Order: sequence, then structure tokens, then C-alpha cells
Amino acid sequence: MSLLDQQPNSKPYWRSLDELADKPAFQDWMSREFPTAASELPDNLSRRRWLQLMGASLSLGGIAGCRWEAEEIAPFTVRPQNRTPGEKQYFSTMWELNGVARPLTVTSIDGRPIKIEGNKQHSASRGATSAFDQALILSMYDPDRSTGLVERVRKELVPRTWDEFDRVLKRRLATHANRNGSGLALIKEPSSSPTQLRLLEAFARKFPNAIVCEVNAGDDGSQAALKNVFEVDGRIALDVSKAKVIACFDADPFGKHPDSLRIVRDWSDRREPDGDWMNRLYCFESNLSLTGSNADHRVPTKSSDVLSMLQQLERAIAADEASDPGDDAPGGQRVLAALAEDLLKHRGESILIAGSQQPAAVHELVLRINHRLENFGSTLNAVASEKSQSVGVAKLLGAIAAKKVETLVVLDANPAFGTQYSPAFVSAMKTVPFSLHVGTHRDETARLCRWHVPMAHVLESWMDGRSFDGTVTVGQPLIDPLFAGRSVSELLAGMLGLKAEPRELIRETLTSLDGRFRNDKQWRRAIHDGFASGLGVPEEANLGDAQAATTGAPFAGSVQPRPPAEVEVVLSLSGATHDGRLANNGWLQETPDAISKLTWGNAAVMSPATAKSLGVSHGQVVRIEANGRSVDLPAFELPGVAKNSVQLALGYGRTAAGHVGGLVDEGIDPVGVDVSVLLPEDGSRVLTNVTLTPTGEKRDLATTQDHFAIDAAGLEAIGARIGELIRTGTLSEYEEHPDFAQHRGPHHPPLESLWEEKSYDGHAWGMAVDLNRCIGCNACMVACQSENNVPIVGKDQVLGGREMHWIRMDRYFSGDPEEPEVAHQPVACHHCENAPCEQVCPVAATVHSDEGLNDMVYNRCIGTRYCANNCPYKVRRFNFLDYNAPLEEPQNELVQLVINPEVTVRSRGVMEKCTYCVQRIQDVKIDAKNERRSITDGEVQTACQTACPAQAIVFGDLNDSESQVAKRHADNRAYGMLSELNTKPRTKYLAKVRNPHPWLEVERHDDHGHGGVNEEQTHAAVSPQKSQPAADLLPISGGGH
Amino acid sequence: MFHFPAWINAVLRGSFFIIPAFICYAGWLLMTATAPETTHIGYAPEQPVPFSHKLHAGKLKMDCRYCHTTVETSAHASIPPTQTCINCHSPADGNGAVSLTAVHSKSTQLNEIFKSWANDTPVKWKRVHDLPDFVQFNHSAHVTRGVSCVSCHDRIDQMDVVSQNHTLSMKSCLECHRNPEPHLRPLDKVTDMDWVPPKPAAEIGALIKDHMNIKANQNCSTCHY
Repeated sequence: MSLLDQQPNSKPYWRSLDELADKPAFQDWMSREFPTAASELPDNLSRRRWLQLMGASLSLGGIAGCRWEAEEIAPFTVRPQNRTPGEKQYFSTMWELNGVARPLTVTSIDGRPIKIEGNKQHSASRGATSAFDQALILSMYDPDRSTGLVERVRKELVPRTWDEFDRVLKRRLATHANRNGSGLALIKEPSSSPTQLRLLEAFARKFPNAIVCEVNAGDDGSQAALKNVFEVDGRIALDVSKAKVIACFDADPFGKHPDSLRIVRDWSDRREPDGDWMNRLYCFESNLSLTGSNADHRVPTKSSDVLSMLQQLERAIAADEASDPGDDAPGGQRVLAALAEDLLKHRGESILIAGSQQPAAVHELVLRINHRLENFGSTLNAVASEKSQSVGVAKLLGAIAAKKVETLVVLDANPAFGTQYSPAFVSAMKTVPFSLHVGTHRDETARLCRWHVPMAHVLESWMDGRSFDGTVTVGQPLIDPLFAGRSVSELLAGMLGLKAEPRELIRETLTSLDGRFRNDKQWRRAIHDGFASGLGVPEEANLGDAQAATTGAPFAGSVQPRPPAEVEVVLSLSGATHDGRLANNGWLQETPDAISKLTWGNAAVMSPATAKSLGVSHGQVVRIEANGRSVDLPAFELPGVAKNSVQLALGYGRTAAGHVGGLVDEGIDPVGVDVSVLLPEDGSRVLTNVTLTPTGEKRDLATTQDHFAIDAAGLEAIGARIGELIRTGTLSEYEEHPDFAQHRGPHHPPLESLWEEKSYDGHAWGMAVDLNRCIGCNACMVACQSENNVPIVGKDQVLGGREMHWIRMDRYFSGDPEEPEVAHQPVACHHCENAPCEQVCPVAATVHSDEGLNDMVYNRCIGTRYCANNCPYKVRRFNFLDYNAPLEEPQNELVQLVINPEVTVRSRGVMEKCTYCVQRIQDVKIDAKNERRSITDGEVQTACQTACPAQAIVFGDLNDSESQVAKRHADNRAYGMLSELNTKPRTKYLAKVRNPHPWLEVERHDDHGHGGVNEEQTHAAVSPQKSQPAADLLPISGGGH
Repeated sequence: MFHFPAWINAVLRGSFFIIPAFICYAGWLLMTATAPETTHIGYAPEQPVPFSHKLHAGKLKMDCRYCHTTVETSAHASIPPTQTCINCHSPADGNGAVSLTAVHSKSTQLNEIFKSWANDTPVKWKRVHDLPDFVQFNHSAHVTRGVSCVSCHDRIDQMDVVSQNHTLSMKSCLECHRNPEPHLRPLDKVTDMDWVPPKPAAEIGALIKDHMNIKANQNCSTCHY
């Protein structure tokens, strides 16, 4: 009798199609402690080269071993106030992405910024960060940053000084000023900075005929609709905390929305099954997005069909009735009916959200429905925003073509890459007599310009901006500009001939907004807090007259669904590189995508059925043609993508990003493929007129989805011993059996240890991860990488399964591969009290501390890897090569500065793993002891915990029964992963509780009603639940590795 | 019947040399590994400024914390900024006038200090007590628990040139962590270099340990992370 027979309520989870089909490729990953080739020399390294490397390291090791390296201490002449050598200092600051300020708190040691956290006091962050925020620190120490001013003189790059530049620019601008600015053009990114807006207004006054143009990589798409429907300039602010029903139409509010941190926090706070109520999330989307993966109900819907689906919904809402169409209803009809019923039941307590790639018609319709459901003023607000004065890129290109632009200034933008205008822009640039690029890197645009001047990194500049909720946010520099760069505001002021200090520019702005900032104390308070409290509480836009327009008859014209066989291609911003601006960031390139787990590149992501109908399989290259242009990309079979929808990520294929993201001039291939060439002129990101043909080529996809998989595939054999790794249930199930998670494992005799167990009298550190809150966003992974000096290994090493992340984010599918349910589970070292790794280490390099930490002693480790072999959680990472060696190369001197001085940098041949951020524990312990007090709960926070926007991770002392972590450990939903092995893990998970609509839950019970037999088949022979013949699905799974 | 082959004789003869050679090698290895050069005992580099602890801390009885201000609050005791030296040794101003309270304002030995003060450049002191980078040592955690400076740095107040007199090896750390009592003092005596315990040190230490709830951890992660 199998495990699954014993557990009629459990659902088998799988991580990849290979695992589902139990293919040899997966078995190979499974059966070895480290995958094939992980133990061997890298292929691309010849033996001779290897010996050279070895020889070099040995001789260096020898020299270093003989003699202590003499160190010098260089104290300050006058030590700055509040500065203690070697102690951490925290500063509030901010950066801006797509014209929205993101508040940060940056840790600095000895004047060197080393770690980024969210600003706890700021309403837009509440301490949380995204992976992008975390990785910002690495961008600052990017060795590819431009180090000086250059002018191109007859194809030669001549270094210049700021004085020379100022003279040249002044002369040029003077001639334009005489002509009211004719011939002058400015390209920049949209910015919420009041200082920039103020300077741009002055700019428009001084150069009234100048062209100011903004290039935008992505907003949430609601601005244009708000303008059309309600005739107001503004954006939609979501208050998810009041929403009982949330419906996303191709939208990803958890991932790509500018206000995602707040949305995630509000959403997760309402995922407590013991709370008053739990929200319900519906997603209708083509891509399997981060939001969709957390949905209670998700219907894979082609992006081009969203409009017709919404119209159907509007009709149901207008008719004010919804009934259960029953089991036989096709596709998502039943879910749509359930949604309508839910929405009608929760008027004023629901939100509909449309995705940014959707056309304006969809956004308008969503606004109408929201309005009809009386959601405005309750769960969402139209917030007034500044009117943009800029013109479109098309107009600028027209002016350039008409030879009306003599001076073009590109302020921190890269229009030569990744937009629909890029090809036209590249050719237009050749005809501009004087062009100037300001940016941190000599990127694609800089290479077309005559002048390039370095911009200061955001952590080196005075800044201001508005967060999504409108709060005026202030950013101070953490360090002087490393390469004498200037900020955008500083340069704009310079162009206007203003001689203000950057700090004074910001202060003047704040003072003009509110006179109290003339007061030094108030001003210092604003810098200290990182925002101007009480300033910029957004004005609610007046929607008054628009009422009539939206409460009338439902939307008249009816759009028919597109033919189901038509293939669409959807382009969206990358979760790793955004629009390409973060392409040179190794942390982000190596962080596996939240859903596909793909690193170092993009792919044509499609569902198994789509791949089958196109005649490609996983890794086989498909040529995508649209608008007369084509790209070749490997197919990636991902369960859950809408049938006949192909998903492409923008932001790859940079040719001048740097040594990480691609630098064609120096022979470094771009990472991934630039798919922006497919964009039509109107910038639409949903393409329906496309052809896809397999080329027969095959490419490696560096996906980590099967890496470090725990052997659940062999459940048949070991099922009698271990329980499910990831445990989920529904709200009704939880209400009936609050302890359902405890019964997701087999019954076993009481666990007894072979030897006397250690008792822990002092602290007993432990962690709890609430799977109900975790959305799988990867912020913790990058935070951990930043905090713990986790190295980047590169694509080849990832392909060999050697990625070093201390936290891996397991993403599980269950059910039908075309419409799977998804669950995320972060897994790091569990610090087992009965740790199997410790028992096999021959040199006692991993031992237990008095506080229950599983210590890893790098200096003792001789690299047998027995511990990794014996770790049932597969969380140990081995340094197969000296991944930190590049840090010692002279050109990488700058990137050394990102290393956290409180954590040892590991060398080759050493095992490493999560330490529960022991350096943070020690810091707090020493501080508390010095002050003769006990440690309060929540004082020790691990890096992953602080980064988490969903507050899924809690850390603390299990011996303190009042601590949050002890309470979570005592929760009904708490279970230990593989605790049947008597490992006594210190990390516990809280089972995921879904909140399905009652109509749809019945259906699932029916499925379960068919009982274990059905499910066992699902697991072993890939028989989907939805009545498709098993044979149809067997061959779909990709070749994998 | 088994007979050793004839070539064994050669091996045997060879082993007469090889075995003693190996023993010699092992002995040499042990000796070099524990030699003062290796453990850095007696390391006393010449500093850019001939600052004498013997004069300042010994004869003038200045408290350690006058200069090493952060020792009670942070990991580093901190080498003082030039400003601290200038408090007493302020140089002559542009007109050659010297402050009334200034000491040795024209001493050539203080040239590096004056240069640093005038140019706002650091004085580059040589680090004497240097722990490996994989060890985390926190001064405040020890000083606020009654471990005296003397325990690791020896009688600095008697040194003209600071030298390292303890091995600072893991052994010396552990010896104290296993048996901290003899090294504990009342908190007001921590920087008192020539304090002599009125009773046996271990007895006093035991009282302090008990009173202050001192747990000298011996976990790996106490120092290595």
C-alpha cells in the first residue's frame, strides 16, 4: 500500500515536468548528492589550464602561510561624530525605479555601504525590500561603472575633465538659450522627484522650444485609463488590506507592480486562517506570474482573451446575478461565475486589477467594474499625480529626422536598447551633431553619443522622490561619488546655470513644498527618517462627474474571443534584469526566476501542450517572427502557461551592459536574447500576428528546478517513513481539522534517539516559515546572498548544479500540468537538533552549539562532502572552485567592497550553508550583555526575515514561550519537514491554507473522492485530473538536462 | 613457504635513513609551528611615531580609555584619531606661537602627528596584535565582563615599544574560556595594569562570574562565522 493511499486528502507535488514523468534526467539529478559533472572538472577548462590555476593558488597559499601579513591601521585625523570603527551605522535613503521612489535603509560599516534593507518607518516599505532593492548594492560596486568623462573625437575616446565639460556644455546651451531652446532635446526617464520637476519647469522656462522626452520601461498601465474614463491625471493606489476578493487580469501586483511591497504585505496579513476573514485571489492570466502562483483560483487565459473575459464578467455584474454553471462548464467559465458571485457579494470589498501589458480598453473596463462595485474610495483610490510635460519618443525622432535637433542630452536613460523605438533611435543618433549621455555605465546609448559623463550612483547622491502612495521621500548619499559622478538633479541645475550644492537643491524643494523645512531640525529629521512626514499625503482625485458615464449600460461593443488555435506572444519585463538596466548584476542574473527557476537568460516559455503543438520540446530553439523581425529562443516548457501563449522576457541580450550582462566589444556574449525587436511601433506587448517555427537547434537552459530535489519521487519505497515536504489544505478543511498538517505524514512509532539528547537552557534559536504568507518572490535569496557573501558561480556552474544560494526557493506544482496549483517553499539549513550532517563529518567541521545552531567551521572542513550526502534537506553547498578568486583580480578591486566584513569569505574545498545569520545573533547578544539586559523578542532578525515583504519568516528564541517563533511553532499548522527522520529541525513550516470558492471546492473534493488510486496514477504515470487521456500527456515533458 | 624477495633488503636498508629522516622532519615541523616567529611572540614593529605606552600609561597613569575610547562599546578598541594626540601635543601655529598647555609642541619625534594634523592624512600605525580574519573578537564583550587588558596584551604600561607577548592562538583563547575565573576582575580594575588581587584571583573571579552570570562560550560560532 502506498503512502498516497493512506492519505486521501493529500496532493502529490512535483517540481518539474521531468519529475512528474520521472524521466531519467530527473533520476540522475535525484540519485546523486551533487549532480553529474558537479564533482568533475569543468569541461571548458583544459587540464593544462587547471594545473596552472592550481599552481597559482598553491604558490599563493604557500607564501601567505609562511608569514603573517603585516597590517596597517589608519585612524581618522578627526573621528566623525557617532562613528565607531568597525560598527554598523544605518542611514535612510531611497532610489527610484520607473518614476516611483523606493525607500531604503542602508547599513554602512566604516563609511562603506554593505547591505540594503527596507525603511521600517516608511509606509511604502515597512522594512521590506524586493530582490531589486537588495541587489542595488552590487550595482554600486560594479567594476564596469564608467570611471570618467570621455569625448569621442574621430572614433578615439579622449578622457575629459568636468571643467572642460562644463565649458563645452555652457557654450552650447548659450547658443540654444538665444534661440529659446530650439535645437535642444532632452531624454530622460520619468521621475517623481519634486526637485527634478522643479528644475524641469525652470528648464522649460529657459528653453521653451526645447523638446523634453521621457522613456518609460513600465508603469502599472492605469494612468492612461484613468485619464480616459475619469479625466484625471493620476494613478490607482490599491488598498488590498480591505479587499476580500482580489481579481487579477493578466496583472502581477505581487511581482511587477511598483507598489508590490505594500500589496504583498496587506495581502499576506489577510492570509491568517485564524483571522476574521481570509481574502480570496483570482487570477486570469497567460503567464504563470508570481501573483498567479499564489492564487486561490487561477485560469490560464491568453492575454488577447482577457478583454472578452472581462466583458462577460461585466455583463454578469450588471445583471447583478451569478449562478453556478455546474461541473460541465468549459474552461474558466465556472471560475468566472464564482468570481462574479463573490464580487456581487462583496461590493466595496473587492479589487480588480489589470496588467500593464493589457491594452487601454482592458484598463478602462476594469475601472468601470471597480466603480460599479463601489470599490473606489474603499479598496482603491485614484491618486492625483503630476502632469507629465514630456512628449513622446516618436515626436523626438521626427524632430531628429527633420534635422531640428542639434544638441541631444540623454539623462540616465538607455533608449538605444530594449524599446520599440530603439532601432530608429540608433540610426537617428548618427545625424545629431552634439550628443551627450549621462549614466553610470557606458551603455548602448553612451556608445552612440559624442560625450559620456559618469552619473553618481543613487547611493552616492542626494535624491528626492515620491513613493507610490505619494509620500515625499528623501535620499542621502552614503558615500562620496566613487568616480566623481554627478546626479541627475545636479546636472539639470548645472544646465540651468544654477550653482547649488546637491543637498541644497533638495532642501530648497522641500522648503518650497512646506516652509517648516527652513527649520534645521525639521530638515534633519526628514533626512534621518528618509521621508518628509506629513508631506505629500496624496490628494484623492475627484471622480464626481464621471459617475454617470460608468454606471450606465454595460460596455456596448462586444469583443469575440480570439480563435483558440492562434498563437500569441506576450512580452513582459524580466524579473531579474527588469528592462535590462540590471543586466550587469550577477546576483539577479543568478537568482532563479520565481516560477521557471531559469537563471542567466531568457527563453520562450510555453505550456507543454503548446510546445507539443509547435513541435518543440524543452531546450529546442524556436524562431519567433513578428512585425517582420525574428528572434531565436529555446523553448521552456512551463506548466500553467495559457495554451497557445508564448511568454518572452524583455531585458536580456544587452550588448554593452558590462562583463556580467554582455559586452560585445570585448567579446563577452550577451546574456539571453533581446526580444524587444519584436515590439510593434505602438509598443503593444501582446502580439497575435506571429509565426513560430522550430529550428532544430538545442540550447542549454540553466534552470535549477530539479537541483537539490528531495527524493519525493521515490515515495513508493520510502513513503511509509516520511511525510509530505509541502503541506497544503483548504480553509474549510482547516476549520474542520485545524491540525490537518500533522496528518499529512505516515503514522510512525514514537521517535527515539540513540543517545541522550542535549538540552538547551539558554537560547534555543529557531525559525518558522508561514507558507500561507510566502509568495516566492526571491527577496530572501538575494538578501541572504548580500548578507552572507554568497558567491556568484556563473551559468556553466549553475548548469552543473553548483549554485551556492543558501536559501533555495522550491516551487511545487500539483495537478494538471496545463492548470497546476503552485506552492512555494523556501528551504535553508534546518539546524536539526539531531543533525545527520554532524554525525558523518570525520573532522568535526560541523558541530552543534549550546544554542542549537548547527555551526559550520570552514577552517576545519577538508571537503569530504559526507555532510552534504547525509543531509536530507540538501541545503549544503560546496565550493567546488574558488568562486571568490575573481574578487582578487585587480580589475575587480571595487566589487570587493560589497563583502560583508562580519562574515568569512569561503575558499575552495569548503562546505557552507545557512548559519541562521549567526553574525547578527552574536551582535545582538553582545550588545544586550554589554547593556546588562536580556534579548527581546524580534531583536535578532535574519537577513531573509527582514527582506521578506510578506513577513513569512520569523526568527527567535524557542525557549521564550512568548516569542513569535515559539507561538508559530506551537501553531496547529506547524510541521517539521522530514521530522519523521527524528532530525528535530529547528525550522518549522506553517502549512498553506487555500481559500477556494465553495462552488469550486466541491469539485476538488470530488477529485479527492476518486481517492488514492487516481492520485497515485497522477503521481506515477502522469494522469491529469481533468479527464484527458494519460497518453496524451506523457511525451510532453521536455528533455531537461 | 613464503620468502621475502631479495629486494626487500634494499628497502630495509633504505628505511634506516628514511624513518629517522621523517622523525627529524616531524620534529622540525613541530618546532617551527610553535616557534615564536610563527606565533608572533616578540613581534614589535617600529611605529611611525615612537609613542611610548610606558610613559603615557605607566608613568603618567593615563587610563587606557583616554585613547582607546570605544573599547567598552564596540568590537575594536580603536587606535585614537590624530585629534586625541593633538589634545596635548598641539603644534605651533602659523606664527610659531605655541599654546600654553601644549606639550612637546616642537618635538621632531611628533613630526608624523603634526603632518597628519596639518594635511588631514592618517598616521599609518602598524598593527601588533593581529588575529586571523576568520576570527571575530569583540573587545567590549570582554572588557565589560571584567577581563583585563593585561590578559591578552600583557603589561603594556611597561613597554616603550609595544610587542606581542601572548600567542593569541586558539589555544590561549580556549584556555581562558574553559577556565575564566583567574582572568576576571572587578569592572573598575579592568584597565588597572598593576592591580594585584587581594585574594587568590580565581576566588575573586568565581564571585564575579557568578554575580555577572558570565558564560564563556566554547562554541565554534562564538568566534568563527
